[in-house]
Amino acid sequence: MLAVEALKIRYGEVEAVRRVDLSVGGGEIIALVGANGAGKSSTLGAIAGLVAPAAGRIVFDGTDITGKPPETISRRGVSLVPEGRRIFASLSVAENLRLGGAMHLAAPEAKAREQEMLDLFPILRRYHRIKGGNLSGGEQQMLAIARALMAKPRLILLDEPSLGLAPRMIDTVFDLIAGLRRNGLTVLLVEQNVALALEIADRATVLANGEAVLAGTAKELATSDLVRQAYLGA
Amino acid sequence: MVAQQIINAVSLGGVYALLALGLAIVFSIVGLINFAHGELMTVSGYALLASLFLGFPFPAAVLVAVACGALAAVAMERVAFRPMRGASITSLLLTSFAVSSLLKVVFQNGVSARPQAIAMPSWMTGAFSLGDFTIGVGPTISIVVSVLALIALEVFLRRSVTGTAMRAAAEDFDVVRLLGIPASRIIATAFLLSGLLAGLAAMLWVAQRASVDPLMGFTPVLKAFIAAVVGGLGSLPGAVAGGFLLGVIEVFLQATLPAAAAPYRDAIVLSGVIAVLLVRPQGLIPAVRVQRS
Repeated sequence: MLAVEALKIRYGEVEAVRRVDLSVGGGEIIALVGANGAGKSSTLGAIAGLVAPAAGRIVFDGTDITGKPPETISRRGVSLVPEGRRIFASLSVAENLRLGGAMHLAAPEAKAREQEMLDLFPILRRYHRIKGGNLSGGEQQMLAIARALMAKPRLILLDEPSLGLAPRMIDTVFDLIAGLRRNGLTVLLVEQNVALALEIADRATVLANGEAVLAGTAKELATSDLVRQAYLGA
Repeated sequence: MVAQQIINAVSLGGVYALLALGLAIVFSIVGLINFAHGELMTVSGYALLASLFLGFPFPAAVLVAVACGALAAVAMERVAFRPMRGASITSLLLTSFAVSSLLKVVFQNGVSARPQAIAMPSWMTGAFSLGDFTIGVGPTISIVVSVLALIALEVFLRRSVTGTAMRAAAEDFDVVRLLGIPASRIIATAFLLSGLLAGLAAMLWVAQRASVDPLMGFTPVLKAFIAAVVGGLGSLPGAVAGGFLLGVIEVFLQATLPAAAAPYRDAIVLSGVIAVLLVRPQGLIPAVRVQRS
């Protein structure tokens, strides 16, 4: 479904991503793990069109989307839930959701989708008229995921969904992510919490200093010496 | 007398509010203070002159003039600002100065540097009595138009998808694009709205003065800029509040200052602005903008 080939990203003189190769099959959960600054978020940014790659190719469903603007990539069926959630604080929960589907669904379909989202995230139904900025971190994360799902994407990119959340809320969010796959969605997950990511992922790639250094099934990585020593503290 | 002054103050404030809103809408989306905003007024003023000259009935001429302001704003974005997308704020500011100077010269050399008289319909210059008060028709129309424009804008921003997306883009433009909403549409709409508001303001401004000239946009837009800063740059409610506040203060000083102090009116107003900004540096009603890491 998604293939990233020899991706390179530069911010001025700094090489944030040296070389990342990645392939995501339909219906998989793929985790991209690694330390802070390893190039995980930049990689997601390039796939979503926020960052123009310096070299390499990104192919989604057989179409080259390298360097295309984010609105085009979104309409092809890729939704990014950005790091830090970035919900619209001054807009109500309902308005946040409606913008998520505005360009993808006709009005009646969008209404039905909004109801599906409110069923999936009951907390959002309760806070429907409340401004996004007044929600807690966990509720905002739910809203950010729901907003991205409004577009009925085929691939969802999640950037650090556990960041800043209370442990109980992290479990809820990750149960939800595992549930998304059961509905046929493909998930590319960036996560600093490696143990957590490997629990729900099918396969994972480890990034270090902007390079993919290790890739394999989640089970293989969870037992590999490198991962255990560097990220799982074993 | 007092009633008439209040009407004048609200009427002037309404024009400032429309102009300040136009500046604020563009600033909230693009981060640019459009110094060519005054020239949008000038374009509308001359479009009114031309339409009347061509024999259009007055209401039709006003519609054409306002539409020309809106179209000019969209064209300005398309020709001058879109190629500069992603450029630094300084480059954008310089571009807006260039557009402003260019249009001034076009009107000075293409038409005339001297003011051109515009005959207002007689009913607009009259007055009507309300109990013991005599109230001018012109300022009353001005207030009604400003209020209706503000309500229409509010409804657009609250109820329509594009309006909601614009409020979202003022907070976090990248995320709006991630949701599939085209950046060009948001930016073009921002300029379109600012041009519509400038066109309306131009009509109200011209109605009070019955003439147009190549520099007619300078003073009101300078005042509108001050209003937008006092209100909180990029904040739409702030722009409206700042506009009305400035109108009220100006008319109040005009009416109460002794003749000897009258030349210092603007100095006194600007001192007030400095005082406000010392106490509230983000303005009266600061804009919401998400801090990004």
